[in-house]
Amino acid sequence: MIPDRLESNLRQGFRESLLPKLGLVLLASILIMAIFAPVLATHNPTRTGYLDENGNSYPPLGTSYTTEIGQDGEFVEVEVESTSDHLLGTNDIGQDVFSRLVYGARTSMLVGLLGTGLAVLIGVPFGLVSGYYGGRVDDVMMRIADTMLAFPSLVLALALIGVFGSAGFGIPDPLTRFGLIDGMPESTTLPGTVTVVVALVTWVWFARVARGEAMSVRNEEYVTAARSMGASNWTILFKHVLPNSLTPVIVLATIQVAAVILLESSLSFLGFSGTTLSWGYDISRGQGYQRTSWWISMVPGLGIVFAVIAVNLLGDWLRDALDPNIEGEGGGA
Amino acid sequence: MSIGKFLVKRLLQGVLVIWGVITIMFALRAVSPGDPANLIVGPAADPEIRDQVREQYGLNEPIYVQYVDYVQGMVTGDFGYSFQSSREVTTMVLERVPATLELAIAATIIAIVIAVPLGVISASRRNEPADYGATLFSLLGISTPNFWLGLMLILLFAIFLQDPMETYLGFTIPQGRRPVGFGEAMMTLVTTGYAGDLLTWVRHITLPAITLGTYFTAMITRLTRSGMIDEFGKPYVTATEAKGIPYVLIRYKHVLRNTMIPIITVLGLQLGTLIGGAVITETVFNWPGLGDRLIQALNARDWPLMQGIIVFIALGFVLINIAVDALYATLDPRVTNE
Repeated sequence: MIPDRLESNLRQGFRESLLPKLGLVLLASILIMAIFAPVLATHNPTRTGYLDENGNSYPPLGTSYTTEIGQDGEFVEVEVESTSDHLLGTNDIGQDVFSRLVYGARTSMLVGLLGTGLAVLIGVPFGLVSGYYGGRVDDVMMRIADTMLAFPSLVLALALIGVFGSAGFGIPDPLTRFGLIDGMPESTTLPGTVTVVVALVTWVWFARVARGEAMSVRNEEYVTAARSMGASNWTILFKHVLPNSLTPVIVLATIQVAAVILLESSLSFLGFSGTTLSWGYDISRGQGYQRTSWWISMVPGLGIVFAVIAVNLLGDWLRDALDPNIEGEGGGA
Repeated sequence: MSIGKFLVKRLLQGVLVIWGVITIMFALRAVSPGDPANLIVGPAADPEIRDQVREQYGLNEPIYVQYVDYVQGMVTGDFGYSFQSSREVTTMVLERVPATLELAIAATIIAIVIAVPLGVISASRRNEPADYGATLFSLLGISTPNFWLGLMLILLFAIFLQDPMETYLGFTIPQGRRPVGFGEAMMTLVTTGYAGDLLTWVRHITLPAITLGTYFTAMITRLTRSGMIDEFGKPYVTATEAKGIPYVLIRYKHVLRNTMIPIITVLGLQLGTLIGGAVITETVFNWPGLGDRLIQALNARDWPLMQGIIVFIALGFVLINIAVDALYATLDPRVTNE
């Protein structure tokens, strides 16, 4: 899939820079968090009510805050101490922030990977056909792509969700079988609409890249040779043009995972996601409580930042090694 | 192809795209479940009144008649009436445009002013501490969701610095109020010489503009850095160096100019991200712009208003991209030969 010359580029890039290693370690940790969420979480992430006797949320371990409570008809200042039961404290309705951080990784990773995969499946064939056939076909298809690009992706995503609503599908947790999910949710909700919608608003980027590649290889000798031997257009497209266009698609797909994670978190922040177990949604929970309960918004936000950094570091490494346009750049950003 | 012809071609393409946008929005509304009449008068309303409403909004016509009416309306700038407030959509859109435009422009200015010098420094001092710092900053910048950044800025200014929610270091955290627009503030300054309004405007827009601008600052820094590094390797740089032209001049006059061309293209394409970012920044800061209104329209399923805002945004996006192409064609005449 990846030519030898580029493969050695990849190896060299990985060896010589710290950044791709850091990205890989970060991404692996987040994936482990996502997969083994039921084992790592300390509490059921959806269970509410972990609050102190006055109904205040617990702060993260080692911190405390003061708040006012009503007592005998007047306000009294009390100090809320952290508890070792809740490492990162609890949110406004008393859910365990650490457990929600762990479970939130699932939603981000699922939507990030599935959404991008779906966008590749839509965009790449579209772009290949457009670039390979050229002429009128290309004109019409590219005008469709231009139209899609005229919508800012978040705005189009919001419009689509406005129409179709936002549904989620429960996926049974595979760890149930090993008896590992005692007291944990039995299924994870995949925000189905959001996954489809992020693919629908991002496939155009893949179409553009695939089109460019198809245009550049369609007059190569091996394609002409295949044609002269009587291969059909579809055979040529999928056996010859597609494999030779994959390298930039892989680079773009990696970068797009980061964009999709950000898009998903924006949608759930605005309350248009199909699940409430998501980093973006958790950030919105803390809105209005920043004065005292800063951790409610801060913790899930850090989750997003680390996930996106991990993907971006890997994307930079792949891009520098594989994309000949910026060959020799190296060194991260 | 002359630049004029090139622009005419791009404008025609733009018209086609806008027609596509209008059609997609119409199609979305047509497949949207639920009777729009319910949204206007509520499901419990008298059937007779509902029918009257359907008649009034043209909802009883066959779908193709509705489509033709709809396109006609859009072409003449008539976006219909809001389901919720019965006000004209065109007015509701236009009254919100300045706030969003000011925010987007302020964010872009912040981004360019910080990013270009940062990228130049980063590229000229490759693998030195300054470069590592700039690289780390830009990595963080492109990886941080701006709504979270906005909340953290509020946290930083209002809480950790132990200051009342209102102001710190002269910044004001806007809370659904925007006491004065840029236009008014400038008018006051010009006519009366009073700069207080302009100062108020600056204080209100600073935090939202930083929130919106950070991603772009990071992105332009990265683009400037990698573009300059590419250019440094080119023969003309060696030639100018050999001639003894000062490094500063080479960097800022020759290399940067050549680097700007791809940056402008990418910026044009990324404008959608800027507008999307504005939508969400506005909700965080209660900034009374188009994005804020779009979210309200979505929550109320106010179709005419939602369509109006989205078509307007797409229109702006297409026009700006044509302007970017024109700029591009002037900077690099080769593109018109495509």
